[in-house]
Amino acid sequence: MNWSLFFDLTVSGLTLGSLYALIALGYSMVYGILKLLNFAHGDVYMIGAFLGWFALHGLGGPVNPDFAGAAVLVVMFITAMLGCGVLGVAIERFAYRPLRNAPRIAPLISALGVSIFLQNSALLVFGASFRDYNTFSLIGVKVYHVGNLFFSVPQLLTVVSAICLMIALTVFVARSRLGKAMRSTAYDREAASMMGIDVDRVISVTFFIGSALAGAAGVMFGLVFGQIFHFMGFLAGLKGFTAAVIGGIGSLPGAMIGGLVVGLAESYATGYLPQGSTFQNLYVFALLILVILIRPSGLLGKAVVQKA
Amino acid sequence: MKGRRGLIGVVLALTAAFAAVAAAYASPDRAAAPAAPAASDSALVKCGKTRTIGFMVPATGPAASIGVQQVHWAQYYVSTYNKTHKTKFKLQTEDTMLGAPTGTAEALKGAQALVSNPNVLATAGPAGSNEIVGVTNVLKGGGLGWVSGSSTRTSLTTDGTRTGFMFRTVPPDAIQGPTAANYILKKLKLKNVYIIDDQETYSTGLADTVQSVLRAAGATVGRDGVSQQQSDFSSLIAKIPRDVQIIYIPWQLPPKGQAFGNQMKAAGRGSVKLMGADGLFDSSFAGVGSHVYDTNFPLNPKSKIISGFRKQHGGDGEYFGAPTYAAVQVAATAVDKACASGSTTRAKVRAAIAATNIPASKSLIGVALRFNKIGDLATAHKFGIYKSNGTDFVPVAG
Amino acid sequence: MTLEGGSGQMPAPVEGPRIGVDEWVAQVEGKRERYTGVRGVIEREFDRLPPAARVLVFAIPAALFPLVTTEGNVFRYGLFTLVYALLAIGLNVVVGFAGLLDLGYIAFFGFGAYFYGILASPQFNNHWQAEAAIPVVIIATAFLGLLVGLPSRRLLGDYLAIATLFFGQAFVVFVNNANRINFPFAGHVDLTGGSNGLAGIDPFNFFGYKVQGTRPLYYFLLISISLVLILLFFVNDSRTGRAWRALREDPLAAEVMSIPVNRLKLLAFVFGAGVAGFTGAIYGTLATAALPGDYDVGLLITIYAIMILGGFGSMMGIVVGAIVVSSVPELLRASANARPLFYGAIALAILVKLRPWRRLGLEVAALIGFGFAVHAIAAAAYPRLVHGSAIGSDFFARALDHWMLFPQNTKNIVDVAYIILIAAIVVFRQLGQLWRTVLLPPLLYLLMFVWENLLLVQINGATRLILLGALLVALMNARPQGLFGKAYVEIV
Repeated sequence: MNWSLFFDLTVSGLTLGSLYALIALGYSMVYGILKLLNFAHGDVYMIGAFLGWFALHGLGGPVNPDFAGAAVLVVMFITAMLGCGVLGVAIERFAYRPLRNAPRIAPLISALGVSIFLQNSALLVFGASFRDYNTFSLIGVKVYHVGNLFFSVPQLLTVVSAICLMIALTVFVARSRLGKAMRSTAYDREAASMMGIDVDRVISVTFFIGSALAGAAGVMFGLVFGQIFHFMGFLAGLKGFTAAVIGGIGSLPGAMIGGLVVGLAESYATGYLPQGSTFQNLYVFALLILVILIRPSGLLGKAVVQKA
Repeated sequence: MKGRRGLIGVVLALTAAFAAVAAAYASPDRAAAPAAPAASDSALVKCGKTRTIGFMVPATGPAASIGVQQVHWAQYYVSTYNKTHKTKFKLQTEDTMLGAPTGTAEALKGAQALVSNPNVLATAGPAGSNEIVGVTNVLKGGGLGWVSGSSTRTSLTTDGTRTGFMFRTVPPDAIQGPTAANYILKKLKLKNVYIIDDQETYSTGLADTVQSVLRAAGATVGRDGVSQQQSDFSSLIAKIPRDVQIIYIPWQLPPKGQAFGNQMKAAGRGSVKLMGADGLFDSSFAGVGSHVYDTNFPLNPKSKIISGFRKQHGGDGEYFGAPTYAAVQVAATAVDKACASGSTTRAKVRAAIAATNIPASKSLIGVALRFNKIGDLATAHKFGIYKSNGTDFVPVAG
Repeated sequence: MTLEGGSGQMPAPVEGPRIGVDEWVAQVEGKRERYTGVRGVIEREFDRLPPAARVLVFAIPAALFPLVTTEGNVFRYGLFTLVYALLAIGLNVVVGFAGLLDLGYIAFFGFGAYFYGILASPQFNNHWQAEAAIPVVIIATAFLGLLVGLPSRRLLGDYLAIATLFFGQAFVVFVNNANRINFPFAGHVDLTGGSNGLAGIDPFNFFGYKVQGTRPLYYFLLISISLVLILLFFVNDSRTGRAWRALREDPLAAEVMSIPVNRLKLLAFVFGAGVAGFTGAIYGTLATAALPGDYDVGLLITIYAIMILGGFGSMMGIVVGAIVVSSVPELLRASANARPLFYGAIALAILVKLRPWRRLGLEVAALIGFGFAVHAIAAAAYPRLVHGSAIGSDFFARALDHWMLFPQNTKNIVDVAYIILIAAIVVFRQLGQLWRTVLLPPLLYLLMFVWENLLLVQINGATRLILLGALLVALMNARPQGLFGKAYVEIV
């Protein structure tokens, strides 16, 4: 048993999985409240990656000695998270709110339109060339190892910050008043508004949080993998959605678990299966189909009784 | 009642339809190609002071980062020509959006747009081998010849369906693949190779060729693929066996090569050699480190044209687009020759292209611009091998 | 949100609890949109025509089209429009009639093209005649639709979308790599040419008559579309069609009414796949090659855009949608065409939205005055902002030079302006009447500034898709049922 290969794959799987989990959380939260598949979520993630890049270069680039690496990182994260949060709220108010009472397919199509719009606006403004995060100069890519387990600083950073964000979110949803409002709105929107909860505000907050998480994921992607471009949101969004569905859509712990499952599955498939890298997306989707067929509501989802 | 009316309506509709078709085509054995294309093939076109050359290039879309280099080089030729000649050239640029989600539909429409413009006498491009397969019928039907500055699929010229129409200013994969494989085997003397293609036809063709040459010589060859959209190679890197000595990545987009190289270094495997193909011939890939090699069509490093271009573009050579300069040069020279009498036909321009003879001193690709019978460069038998010195590629003995 | 036009009296939806929803629906049900005036007359007459006559309304102008224009235009505008229209019609059966969100539809299209290629190209040296090949392709694709539909029966709405999307992606990857597969008994077979695609597909060969060349292919497509449309009109009125509509509106109620829901879903899939396979075979001969990149998500989005534009369930609407979605980007290829289109669209939007006429005149005058003022200030204080010039050399461009800002070094200023524009539009929508009146001229000026300096320059690539995305969002906001669809109320 090649342990070193196994550990390598596990580390990269966990890194990827953390990213997918963050994206999946946004999908799950929005779906739980609005029953809407937010196609534009993957592109919000892409915008987050670009915002982080602009923050980095706004501060003089990765080799500017005036700013400590850690400070630069914090600024990048905050810029991306705030920017994406605002973007998410704007999208909701502009593209989804007017369609709250329209047939279900209308906001779906609107989401598709927003997705196309964002992708091509990024292409227009940022150009077709790939932007580089230049992580080497920024925080160095020292490789640490514990026995046979190798990992690098960006990977560690990604996993740790993802876990911190997820813990923060869970605490927020479970303990705070706004979190309780979110949970009740997800359960029954009409009843919640009758109980005096400002449903519009709750929905805006949901979008803000979900998009902020996606923005953070975008910055992390740039740090670990070094390169961002305008089309990166499509596949990442798709896999994030897969993770949300596998974990049980509408359930937050499910989204986190789903993300890790998808990341690890992708990594192991690449590493162990023949021509794994070529077909890695296929293996992930096949896993999705399998989970849906066996357990239609996902791993941690509740079986939903169809009400008329 | 409604059903009966409907039935009558159906009969009426069908009759009308068939009548329309029958009226347009009276005899059923019109199997020959319609008359129009033959006309445009030999239609006399007045040359005038400003002449138009078609230019099919992926200016936008996923391949835009290399397409834009071709655009720059083509525009460089036109601007330098227009400064020094009385007659002027104009490019009719058609964006083919290579690799875009809509596939080759844009290339088809662009080719049709060029064919429909009677002033277009020759075309530079298309860039992608698949695009050429798609638009061959349209361009041939319009009698338009084309000179490609980047499509390297060997079968395009050897299968005989485009002779006399297609020419290219880059050597085909049949030359590039064995050059790379032989260098690995004989000069670097390595026996354990891993090949990764990027799923696009340019890449898989080269990868297949190199793989077969290496396997025939007894080397151990592993093979896998990534998608052009992918940036996360960590799992793939983990999978590559520890005893691999060199990884051959004939990819099309230099930033991906750079990302792969950097991630290899991040995973602690920066000692494994990397070799790219002409798609990765860019300083961003060279910047990964001095363990990086590349093959590229032999450019003449001392060419004044290249240094002039670099001065205009802030030191960046954008080498992928350089053969497109040669392609436009060939097309323009042929148009000038055919227009010597004031008017010409597309067929005459094609003949002039086939008879091109631009000496090596005037051509930036280091060899004379002369074509053999099937449209390939007559004297380009070798690819150059380059090694990175940390920042750029320098030629090494092949 | 209020619906445009006519005397339709749907009450504005209330942002709060809607107690007694069913009763409200019962009141409104009978008062569905009914237009008065010219539009109403046209609509009612059109509805009265038998299906075949309705198709003729579109087929006759289309048949005359090649006779009045060049072959190049027939190719670019006619052929692709008809192909996309046929695809959208097939998709309409699955999504518009039966309400199943199928995101892998293009895979059937690709399958049709590849299968026809296998039957009629040098790849395996088969050269079947079209009258045998086409039915085989249709049946094979329909069978594939059945296979895809079988496991999808248990999936609802959004899950079905993901499962079909997976199928679409799987198809593309398979076709891209199928030249390296070792089949168990046959050994190494190059099924699809891999990433090189299947080249050299034969033209249709009907009993010796080859459909070769732009015009014959165009007429063939026209006849096919007409036949499919007529067939679908009949199906729509039949029991199956009504059952599909019931399934779309409320699957649970349909099942309770003993409609065989699963069978209907399968039927919809099979039907849609058959139409897609047929269109695929046609496209194979049009492009003379089947290449993997042609059958991916981009085309799917285009077809969906056509369907949405035209309105779900409305077939004539789809034809109109196909004409718009296919022709407009082609028209925009030449920047000379783009300007009239853009300014025309803005003028139209202003004319429709701004009433009464006094207000319209006031706003336009303010816009022009604002433009001159800004130009004058910029020329005096920041000359660099007006040193550039408009694209083109016609009268309009020269006039714009004196009215609009054209920065010398455009890149950064214009990018920032673009982002500000998007933010401004979002904010604008939230404002009240008074603020909107005051801020409209500056907003329009900013829009034109971004258009002239950024979008027009990149008209071929990103701009087209940006406009498409914006159009989708705007259309859903204004008219969620599409241009020709019928508004209906969904009970959740």
